[in-house]
Amino acid sequence: MTRANYKGEEMVIAVDVNKIYPNNCHALKQVSVTVKRGEVVVIIGPSGSGKSTFLRTLNQLETVTDGDITIDGINMYDSATNINTLRENVGMVFQSFNLFPHLSVKENVMLAPLKVSNLGKAEVEKDAISLLTRVGLAEKVDVYPSQLSGGQQQRVAIARALAMKPDLMLFDEPTSALDPEMVGEVLEVMKSLAEEGMTMVVVTHEMGFASEVADRVLFMEDGQLLVDDVPANFFENPSHPRLQTFLSSIL
Amino acid sequence: MHNKTNNWMWHLLFVIALGAMGYSIYSASQKIDYTWQWNRVAPYIIDNSPQETFAEYDGTVSINETGIITVEFDNGDPALIVEKADDVFVSDGDLVFSGDMISSVEQKRMGVLLKGLLMTVKLSLISLCFAIILGLIAALMRISSNPLSRNFAFLYVEIIRGTPLLVQIFIVYFFLGTIFDLDRFTAGIAALSVFTGAYIAEIIRSGIQSISPGQMEAARSLGMSYPKAMIYVVLPQAFKRTLPPMAGQFINLIKDSSLVSVISITDLTKAGREVVAGSFATFEVWFAVAALYLVLTSTLSFGVQRIEKRLATSD
Repeated sequence: MTRANYKGEEMVIAVDVNKIYPNNCHALKQVSVTVKRGEVVVIIGPSGSGKSTFLRTLNQLETVTDGDITIDGINMYDSATNINTLRENVGMVFQSFNLFPHLSVKENVMLAPLKVSNLGKAEVEKDAISLLTRVGLAEKVDVYPSQLSGGQQQRVAIARALAMKPDLMLFDEPTSALDPEMVGEVLEVMKSLAEEGMTMVVVTHEMGFASEVADRVLFMEDGQLLVDDVPANFFENPSHPRLQTFLSSIL
Repeated sequence: MHNKTNNWMWHLLFVIALGAMGYSIYSASQKIDYTWQWNRVAPYIIDNSPQETFAEYDGTVSINETGIITVEFDNGDPALIVEKADDVFVSDGDLVFSGDMISSVEQKRMGVLLKGLLMTVKLSLISLCFAIILGLIAALMRISSNPLSRNFAFLYVEIIRGTPLLVQIFIVYFFLGTIFDLDRFTAGIAALSVFTGAYIAEIIRSGIQSISPGQMEAARSLGMSYPKAMIYVVLPQAFKRTLPPMAGQFINLIKDSSLVSVISITDLTKAGREVVAGSFATFEVWFAVAALYLVLTSTLSFGVQRIEKRLATSD
């Protein structure tokens, strides 16, 4: 546990990560990725390519079968590492929002800081309201998630993840479950986060977001990381034949 | 509007059918040779009979100016002192003999049936608390990743659900009761809680498993530990979802508690049997007992409905 004094350049170092499910499905094959502090990395690939699985190994929602992952200077598989402490520093946004339906919007954002960080209620509430204002939902603080549109729910989910003041944010297809007219509002929030220097790893099908916001774009297929390139090269000058096929099929 | 008038007709038909059923039951009961005496049941619910005091041994009575009766016993036992009396059957200086009536007091007391009802409520409430704790622990063990606790919970649920409650009550009272020297009330509570706990375990387990795994993942991804995620995120949602089957189980518990009458706990059912033996008003007493159970269970389901409505605000 060395995070307190870690100011190294790498936020994520994943080395030779392998994931084999009990049914012998080999979901990740020797995936190695390094994400620098402040970088925005977008992962694309066909469904079943292992991109979501890889993202979920970064906060250990999936354990790896083999390989090593270091987040902000802490080795995840070191026996001295407390996974809960590590996760406080890694926010995650899910495809299906996963808001807590029994709590109001404000309470959703406040729950983790209250129960995990043991901060005072007044302070936490102030933070929650300023976060919700930042994602444009200041007037919705007291309603329940079921009364919000998909786009609004996803923005609450982003605020909830930010409430723990993480240094790394993971986005697992954050716009895939949204109606088309709501995709923009969520991408807008993500873009502003990127501009503020947040380190982000994003699994998405939004090619526009990838080419505009990403510092690097990764292409995964069949559990393998095939391409890791800057957006310009990735989209204009795809090096790998599989990536060429993939891009031509979606563009 | 058309639909509404139609509904009114059906309601009316329901009332008419109910009336017809009531009338046929009434006329059938007229055909048998039975004299209905509902007034005989009343004293077993509220007891109006005067409470009488008797002399336990031979002795001498003295009554002072404030009306307090003191009986000094010849054998030197502590004196009997009666402070309040509506009717006095002795006078100052009288000699009394063992068994003589001294005085009586007018008062309202709980009848046997009401006492039985209270015992049923007490049994059900205490068993309910233990059953919820047992059920919650068993449910959490059942979904745990550790095979040891999973197997234990499985065994508990299967054994309890696979054997009749009546048999369990006998085993707890006669076998465990002998080993651990349990009184009948403790044995009754133990049997009822362990039995209901198994059913509640299954209800809570299915409730927890019906909550999307994404809820647990979202809570864990925020840095919450497994117990915290359970307590603050999963269980509150599971609780809401399991309220209807839980209410059914609580009602079952109230009704199942009638079985403890076999180990001589004077609950409502046992009280009913005693009253029948004393009053010979068999039909009336059992109808009264059924009505008292119905009051308990319908109060409970009404209460649960209120809670459900309140929890529905987040839907």
